[in-house]
Parts: sequence; structure tokens; C-alpha cells
Amino acid sequence: MIPLIGLIVGILLGLFLEPTIPLALQPYLPIAIVAAMDALFGAFRAYLDGNFTDRVFVVSFISNVLIAAAIVYVGDQIGVGSQLSTGVVVVLGIRIFTNAAAIRRALFHA
Amino acid sequence: MPEPRPSGRPRRAAAHRSLGLSPRHRAQRRAQQAAAQEPEPLQPETPQLQTPDQEPSAPAENLQDGSVAEASNPDRSQQDQSPPAPDARRRLWHSLASPGRGQLIAAVILFVVGLGGVMQVRINNADDTYTNARREDLVQLLDGLGSESRRLEGEIADLERTKTSLQSGADTQRVAREEAEKRVEVLSLLAGTVPAEGPGIRLRIADPSGKVDADVILDAVEEMRDAGAEVIEVNNAIRVVASSWFATGPDGLLIDDSPVSNPITIEVIGDPHSLEEAARFRGGIVSEITGPTIGGQVQIEQLDRVVVESLHSPVPNQYAQPASPPPTPR
Repeated sequence: MIPLIGLIVGILLGLFLEPTIPLALQPYLPIAIVAAMDALFGAFRAYLDGNFTDRVFVVSFISNVLIAAAIVYVGDQIGVGSQLSTGVVVVLGIRIFTNAAAIRRALFHA
Repeated sequence: MPEPRPSGRPRRAAAHRSLGLSPRHRAQRRAQQAAAQEPEPLQPETPQLQTPDQEPSAPAENLQDGSVAEASNPDRSQQDQSPPAPDARRRLWHSLASPGRGQLIAAVILFVVGLGGVMQVRINNADDTYTNARREDLVQLLDGLGSESRRLEGEIADLERTKTSLQSGADTQRVAREEAEKRVEVLSLLAGTVPAEGPGIRLRIADPSGKVDADVILDAVEEMRDAGAEVIEVNNAIRVVASSWFATGPDGLLIDDSPVSNPITIEVIGDPHSLEEAARFRGGIVSEITGPTIGGQVQIEQLDRVVVESLHSPVPNQYAQPASPPPTPR
């Protein structure tokens, strides 16, 4: 319940305060969000499976986001930024689908 | 730290996993997965293999393994579903009822994710007019812009040409007007329709015996013109022009039907030195007038500024017409 409230508060704050991030960080935000979503789904799955640990969750969240952003940054530096970000999105998308499938199985037996 | 996890969840998970993977299931799965990679059975034991101060099985790693297993054989999802479900649901309800520290952290992280997501959506919406356009559309757009700019450049060139021609037209008109004005000046000086001034000489002829007649004055005018006289005036009243005539009437000298009184003053605009020389040369006007035949006196002074204010009123030509139309000023 509290996580849902946090999500809603975040969305509302983003909608009403209209924060902006520095232009230099803008290319990494989408990838970071996808990585964060992956970490969230993984955490939810782990929670349903019973082996959720908040410390692991925080560490994996932060490291996922940072590594995704770093990959895109390196890709930008060596000229394959769009390809690398596509690859990262594909991998994270696969993981998200897998986690979603596990959650689905855990919750709905299907 | 023998048991790092709060509440007996991991043990329960391990329990249900081992419950879920009955020997029959395991056998089936082994049969299906002939290949050596089989990460799923190892999972429940991973926490036990770790040293106590290490964190138990990071979710991401677990999930990675799970995903590999899931991707490798999707049909297995039918098999290990029944036992964990009630547990998971119960845990979900329990979490809704009694939130803990983990939920707070999750809330914070979800807050961050929601904030970032909204920001990204906003950024994406702000400038997606061209970022989401396909390459063909962009190429077409660029083409359109290129042809448009070419068309506008042609228009600019046309307008520039028009402007130049108008400017040069105005210039030629101005030049023609200046030319015409110059001609008008020259011609009106010649025709005596405007006052004139300039360096020149003044000639005073004293003729006590009245023997200075038209011939003498005509000679004087001819001499002056020969010396480059531009404007000639007699007695401050008569402008000598191209059509002037000289005659000797019963009352004395006549120029253009006007009587010329004695003494006669002739003002001439031209080079003063040449004019005086022309008047004084041997056998010229001065010697003629001062000669024994006339016995008059001539006084000549060179002036820096001679003002001729008398005008000749031109009479329209009655018979003569220009033979060809005057050239159009260009």
C-alpha cells in the first residue's frame, strides 16, 4: 500500500511541480527508468516468492540504474549510443516480461 | 548474524519451493532439460550456501536465473504453480495490512521512479514533433523546405533585379535631369533669359561727337565674342543675344529697338584679360574709337564680378520649327 502511495505521490509531484533535469542527463533518464522498472518487478517477484530483502532491493535498484546509464554513456562516447540503448532496453524488457510472468504465476496460478 | 532475514520468510520460501518441486516434478524436468544448465533447483539452496554476513540471493540474480529457465522451457510454467500461489497471496494481503520498513523503501523508490517517469514523459512530449517522425517523413520535409527555400531565393533574386533596375532608372532619370538643367543653364544664359554674373570687363565709351554708330558697336561686340565673351550687356539695360540687331536711327544708336544713350557702357562676362587684350589690340575697338575719325575715349576696367541683370524676353518662333524631334533624355 505504501509503495503505491509513493508512486502516486511521485507522479503527482512530477505533474504539478514540473521538475526538470539537466540537459546533460536527459539521454540517460529513459534507460534509467526502464532499469528501475526492471528492479521494481524483480523486487515484487522476490517479495511474492518470499526472498525479498530491502537492502538488496535498494542496492540492485541503484546499481541497475547506474549501470544502464553508464552503458548508454559509454555507448554515446564511442558512437554506438543508440544501438547500445536499444540493446539495454531489449534485455531489460525481456527481464521485465520474465518477472511479470513469474508474478502472474504466483498470484493467479496462470 | 546467523539469520539476516527478518521474519521466517526465506525458510517458508524454501519450504514451498521444495514442496512445489516434488520428486515427480523434478524427474519430469530433468527429462525435459537434457542440457546441463538447470538453475532452478539450485535456487532454494543459494541462501544456505552463502556466508552469514553476505546478503541472501539478490533478487536480480535470482530473476536472471529464473528468466533463463523460463525462457528455455515455457511449458514448465504449468507445473510449479499450485503450492506457491496461496502463499504469495497471503503475503500480499499481509503486506497490505501491516506495512514494514521494506515497504517504506519501496515507496521511496517508487516515488523516485514515478517522478522520473513523469519528467521523461514531459520531456518526450515537449519535443516529439520531429524526434518521432520517420526517416522518409523527415526526408520529405527536408525536400519541401529545400524547394521552398530555392523558390524564395529565386524570388529574392527577382526582386533584387527589379530593385536594381528601378534604382538605375531613377539614376538615369536623375542624370538626365541634371543634364537638362545644365543645358537649360547654358541655353538660358545664351538666350539671355536669366541674370548672369562672373568675371569680366566694363567698357566705357565716351563719344562726345556722337560718331559711334551701329557698325562700331557691332565691331565691338564681334571682337568681344571672338575673345570668348559669354554674356554682353549694353548700358545696364540691353542684353545682347543671338538675335540682337544694331541700327543707327534718327536719334542715334538702336539695339533691339532700344535707343542707346551716350556714354555707352558695355559689360562683358568672360576672361577679363583676353577681353581687354581683344579690345586694345592695334586696329581694334579702342584704337578705332580713339582714332581721329571718332575722337572718343574708351575706359576699360577688369572686374572680378560683373553682374548682368537685364533680360532678353524671347519671342516665340513664328516660322522656324525643329526639323527632328529633340532626343529623349536618357
